[in-house]
Amino acid sequence: MEILQLFNTGWSFEPWVLVFASILLGAYMLGVGVELNRYSILYVLGVLVMLFALLSPLDFLGRHYLFSAHMVQHILLLLITPLLLLLGIPKATAEKLLKIEPIGRIMRVLGYPAVAWFLGVGAMWVWHLPSIHDMALNNNSLYIIQLISFVLIGMIFWWPVFTPLKSKRLNPLTGTLYLASACLGCTVLGMLITFAGAGLYTAYLNPADTAGLLPLIRNDLCITPGVDQQIGGLTMWVPGCLIYLSASMITLAQWYGAPDEGVSAAGHEVA
Amino acid sequence: MSSRLPLVPENTEPLPSLKENQGMLTWVASVDHKQIGLMYLIITMVFFVVGGLEALLMRIQLAQPEMSFISPEVYNQLFTMHGTTMIFFVVMPFLIGVGVYMVPLMIGARDMAFPRLNALSFWLIVFGGILIYYSFLTQSGAPDMGWFAYSPLSEKPFSLNKGPTYWALGLLATGISSVASGLNNIVTILTMRTPGMSMRRIPLFVWMILVTSFLLIFVIPIIASAFAMMLLDRLLGAAFFTPAHGGSAILWQHFFWGFGHPEVYILILPAFGIISEVIPVFSRKPIFGYEFVAGSTVAIGLLSVGVWAHHMFAVGLGDVANLYFSFASMLIAIPTGVKVLNWVATMWGGKIIFATPMLFATAFIIEFVMGGLTGVAIASVPIDWVVTDSYFIVAHFHYVLYGGSMFAIFAGVYYWFPKFTGRMMSETLGKWHFWLTVIGFNMTFFVQHFLGVMGMPRRTYTYHDFPYWGSMNLISTIGAIVLAASVLVFIWNVQVSLRRGKKASNNPWHAWTLEWAASSPPAVHNFDLVPPVRGRRPLWDLAHPEQPDEPNAKVID
Amino acid sequence: MADNKMLIKFFIASESIFFLMLILAYVNFKGSVVDGPTAESSLNPYVTGIFSLFLLASSFTVWLAGRSLRAKNHTWLKVWLLVTIVLGVIFIYGQGREWAGLIEQDITISRNVFGTTFFTLTGFHGLHVCVGLIMLSILLGLALFGDFKGPRSDGVEVISIYWHFVDGVWIVVYSVIYVWAFFL
Repeated sequence: MEILQLFNTGWSFEPWVLVFASILLGAYMLGVGVELNRYSILYVLGVLVMLFALLSPLDFLGRHYLFSAHMVQHILLLLITPLLLLLGIPKATAEKLLKIEPIGRIMRVLGYPAVAWFLGVGAMWVWHLPSIHDMALNNNSLYIIQLISFVLIGMIFWWPVFTPLKSKRLNPLTGTLYLASACLGCTVLGMLITFAGAGLYTAYLNPADTAGLLPLIRNDLCITPGVDQQIGGLTMWVPGCLIYLSASMITLAQWYGAPDEGVSAAGHEVA
Repeated sequence: MSSRLPLVPENTEPLPSLKENQGMLTWVASVDHKQIGLMYLIITMVFFVVGGLEALLMRIQLAQPEMSFISPEVYNQLFTMHGTTMIFFVVMPFLIGVGVYMVPLMIGARDMAFPRLNALSFWLIVFGGILIYYSFLTQSGAPDMGWFAYSPLSEKPFSLNKGPTYWALGLLATGISSVASGLNNIVTILTMRTPGMSMRRIPLFVWMILVTSFLLIFVIPIIASAFAMMLLDRLLGAAFFTPAHGGSAILWQHFFWGFGHPEVYILILPAFGIISEVIPVFSRKPIFGYEFVAGSTVAIGLLSVGVWAHHMFAVGLGDVANLYFSFASMLIAIPTGVKVLNWVATMWGGKIIFATPMLFATAFIIEFVMGGLTGVAIASVPIDWVVTDSYFIVAHFHYVLYGGSMFAIFAGVYYWFPKFTGRMMSETLGKWHFWLTVIGFNMTFFVQHFLGVMGMPRRTYTYHDFPYWGSMNLISTIGAIVLAASVLVFIWNVQVSLRRGKKASNNPWHAWTLEWAASSPPAVHNFDLVPPVRGRRPLWDLAHPEQPDEPNAKVID
Repeated sequence: MADNKMLIKFFIASESIFFLMLILAYVNFKGSVVDGPTAESSLNPYVTGIFSLFLLASSFTVWLAGRSLRAKNHTWLKVWLLVTIVLGVIFIYGQGREWAGLIEQDITISRNVFGTTFFTLTGFHGLHVCVGLIMLSILLGLALFGDFKGPRSDGVEVISIYWHFVDGVWIVVYSVIYVWAFFL
């Protein structure tokens, strides 16, 4: 099968994805309203990225052929979509939501930086344990849980840095540390996957060639399972860390752009 | 006080004994950041001369093909010790030392957060240096496996001498020193700023020291673990890095460069800080794009930990890994370029005063950019495959480390000397030093780019009489001699200025950061009264109340 | 007043990287042993697990010591400090017992990469525990001389944080060495 053919026919409109997306959009319409502003654009963009990650040939490739494609999908779902969704929630809506116990109580716990960090980095690690990862590829329900968990846990992870409640955000220096340490967590995992021998994830060693793509991948593009695993590990590592880095630059830019209270505080940085 | 340096006032309380030696003891037992800072600078100068002599000996040996002025065994010791000395006992202690002196003053504090830890850091450097240099006196001699000590050469049975063991132990000591300094800096900068000095108003030198300190505390443990493993291999027969025993030589390289690459940013970021202080003052303009300089520093710090494998392109990690590391390495050029743009933009339209600090700072930009450009070139895998381990690499890192860090260090010395000592350095001698340095430095290292591309390998004690190799090496050696002369001029300048330099006021350069509000030299307690801080240039605001830097700043009293 | 708690927090962040590197070395060589002892063939996760419980308990008791300090209960501060030290010593005894057993079977640091990485990782951890025990003993000694009447003491709080760190590292080390070899 040629690449163009794949692009045309590799889309799969799985019901659960459409249901999930509808829930996300529906909740937004109910909670925030239907208005074209930068919030709604960001939010919808987040949903679109998620739809692309889950419905496009990327999903097809990732499930059946290439570990590296799967990694790209994960990055979109864990880092990009949740960030866009979070940024798309206006402050007023977030305040309203958090007033509802038990949501408020849960977010107070989950939004605690150490918790959010461990959930975010932990989710990455747990889902990449070879046994669990292979299980998820074979078991459809687990697969769905994995992907939905990425989106939700991703939002929790980004919460301390980008919560709509701007006053509750981590101060940019702490935020940079938060992101840098997450980058470290992501790097160690990426490193282990890159430098482990091929065959960490058995599903990709000899995939069933249902679409006839294997000759193209193995022979024309010379992507062996080992190379594929390396690309996957490095993608998690380099572009992954670049996302954390960019987020850190954004928070610093916002910090420098805001008016300076000039408070040094005998203890810790306030401004 | 018997010391010639008219510095920190003597102890007003008599010590228990040794009244005649009170002067020296005050120094040895000092926990005052200014005295410790000065001791850092002094020890740095000593090691700089020693490291420079090692280089000079090498250059003499290489002046012509197939000379036997120095034997191969001694040559190996020379280049190992030269690299180790310059990195760990010159550039790092200088930058940390000048930070130790300046950071408390720049933030309006009385001392560092942990003065005794500060002293420990300094004395560990001395101890580490003595330990490593002691190896020259042993039967088997100094370490000779190159400053990066690749295994299996660094291990038994290829290296049976004791040199590498001394080396690893000495560097473990300096590593602890660096981590302690990093921790001390972080707590000091985060918690001891004078009211009004928010994190967005700190001088850029302080910001650079902060980012460097974070890098230090996170990457020194990497090399510390590697040294520990290497010592276990050598002393207890462990198998970490010995392939014959099941170990992995590549693992050493990963660990070493995992530290080694962030280390070079540790060597340059505080230098960037010095330049960011000097250029605005001598252009009579505030720094252009403070936020961009600060933000790009964080970007460099974060990126630097992820690109180490660009030192390992020839090791066989695979095309994919090489590609990603190459890409990420080239990315670092962007935030660095942002800084260069900011410095140049600061100079643009300014009333430039080419005093010696500014001469070095301006030359820094040119030399460092040259080094940076060759760096981007070797970030490209195919180019690196041709020139790795050749003199092209030697040229590259000397441009960024000498043309970069050392030039910035000289700028800093000339800039802050009045503050340290209360006397101005001689401008005449300064200009001699500067021009001899520029000529000598470029003569020594520019031709090495060509030698490298022509195939001359590094770390070899001689070479065949290939066309132009002899003449270019001779030029390089003559350049090294000119460079040596420049250092002599510098030392002479320091000496003469200490004794007969023009007396300096508090603020001879009309600069704007808080250290210039203290006396020259500062009193023991630094400030009687810290000026109010309502912007990034407190002394400017004080002198120009009608044109404050931040007109909307809230007044904190 | 210097911010001692900030210092110790950044210090343990730094030390974490040190341990991370030792763990990475262990992980790197796991599974690459061709001949000679491996984790699976030479270790006993249950015995080590029991001794680990003593270390975990000591984190709890040092927290209780902190609580006594805040409640200005000087007697119980001393008691809990002592218990913490005793529990820590038992852990070290367990480690020593394990090491002795291995060395008796000629499983040493120089035997193969398993021996190398195992002894290095557990050794540096044990070293950090010993340093902690010394510091706790100093605290106890000073407390016996009347210091630390409470409710606050940077010394006690800082060393407690360090002790929790040492415990946390062991949880990771135990998981990487024992849980991975025997239960995954």
